[in-house]
Amino acid sequence: MAEPIVTLQSIEKRYGARTAIHDVSFQLYPGETVALVGMSGGGKSTIMRLIAGLEKPTSGRLAYRDPHIVTRVMFQNDRLLPWLSVQDNVGFGLRDPAVTELLAAVGLAEAADLYPAQLSGGQRQRLALARALLAQPQLLLLDEPLGALDALTRRNMQDLIMRICAERHLSSLLITHDVQEAARMADWIIVVKDGTNVYQTAGAKGQGPTVVASVGEDVLQVILQPAVTP
Amino acid sequence: MDNVTTITTSAKKQRRWQLPVNKLLPWLLPVAFLAIWQLSVSTGLITSTLVPSPWAIVQDGVDLWQSGTLQKNISISLYRATVGFAIGGSAGFLLGLANGLSQRSRALLDTPLQMLRNIPHLSLIPVVIILLGIGETAKISLVAIGVLFPIYINTYHGIANSDPELLEMGRSYGLSRWQLFTKVIFPGALPTILMGVRYALGVMWTTLIVAETISSTSGIGYMATNAQEFMNMKTVLLCIALYALLGKLSDLIAKGLESTFLTWREKGVTHNG
Repeated sequence: MAEPIVTLQSIEKRYGARTAIHDVSFQLYPGETVALVGMSGGGKSTIMRLIAGLEKPTSGRLAYRDPHIVTRVMFQNDRLLPWLSVQDNVGFGLRDPAVTELLAAVGLAEAADLYPAQLSGGQRQRLALARALLAQPQLLLLDEPLGALDALTRRNMQDLIMRICAERHLSSLLITHDVQEAARMADWIIVVKDGTNVYQTAGAKGQGPTVVASVGEDVLQVILQPAVTP
Repeated sequence: MDNVTTITTSAKKQRRWQLPVNKLLPWLLPVAFLAIWQLSVSTGLITSTLVPSPWAIVQDGVDLWQSGTLQKNISISLYRATVGFAIGGSAGFLLGLANGLSQRSRALLDTPLQMLRNIPHLSLIPVVIILLGIGETAKISLVAIGVLFPIYINTYHGIANSDPELLEMGRSYGLSRWQLFTKVIFPGALPTILMGVRYALGVMWTTLIVAETISSTSGIGYMATNAQEFMNMKTVLLCIALYALLGKLSDLIAKGLESTFLTWREKGVTHNG
């Protein structure tokens, strides 16, 4: 098996007296999509922020295969710059053939000169995806980017992200509280509960119902609760 | 679907009928006021030596223009306003930038600036006259001081209140400090800064008028005080009308700046509305 691109070993992160995560250990392999599933406030986002380098762990080992790894986060709310046009949002004003190419890849070629406020929720996340891809990251971190979308748009976005990750042999870490979404997109599911990873599935993609069942009724109950009333 | 279409067209038709009314309505009261004023003076209801008719004021304006005094005084006032605004505005902008961007600069300068801001700048007139006399420097300094604070406050707040989520995104997407400033911080602060510019333009005229009224030998303010000494009500009222026009001009400039630099905001509004 190839060397993991990211290794987390006994990671702990504390904010003052509050422990956000503890004893988190797992590995991400090249080309894989791994989903972190769990309740809001369970520590999923903290794990992602540590991997993205937005914060430093309090203790434990966080190692990258390539120390100059490029990671890009697709945030929960798209965080587009409202004063830049669609094409300028991709490269922060950079005009490059790569920008045009990416806009075409996410289906926004026609919208290049519009402003974010003129886009729909799904289009905004497409744009955020194009922006995340410009630097050709090795690892894409998806922080519940599809949470606010309607069911159909959400499904289309899942397909688009999966297709792009496969085409570019891109590893990705998906954060979601939707087990169905995780089972659809991820190769593995890691269940995060009370600040630590409590369960890891043997596989996920293409095994939808089996995996959802294997996560366990009790855990699933807890996980699915916030998904019903977001 | 059919129903929806009919409703929209009828709404459009209605709007087309209302449009001229809406455009004329703001002018109704001013025009009526002028008309009643003119009539009252013409019919002798008001003594024309005390309150001249609007038409007499216009004629006075034409006379002063032909003698060259009007242009001379307007241009000297415009000169003081512009130079004072440029100096005070740039100082306020730079201080606002420094304090918005640097913690250390903020710790050093914000408290003293907030203290100075609470002094009514017009109360500095005696100080300025004693120190600088009644020359151009005195009046330009007063305008500059008056303009400095609104621009400072708004620049500082606009910069310091940058959206932390956008900043985090920019940093994690590898933007340099300069790119972070030009692509994220400054555009986000611009609406607040332009609000400060609009307010400062108002302060600019008030300060100039007061300064020229108290200590000057030229300018629109001087024209008014001078006319008052000769009991020349026509010229006094002409000066007031000029202030109104110049104030409107500043407002148009401020609006122009907003529509030039904030096009993205209007785009958003069109979509939502």
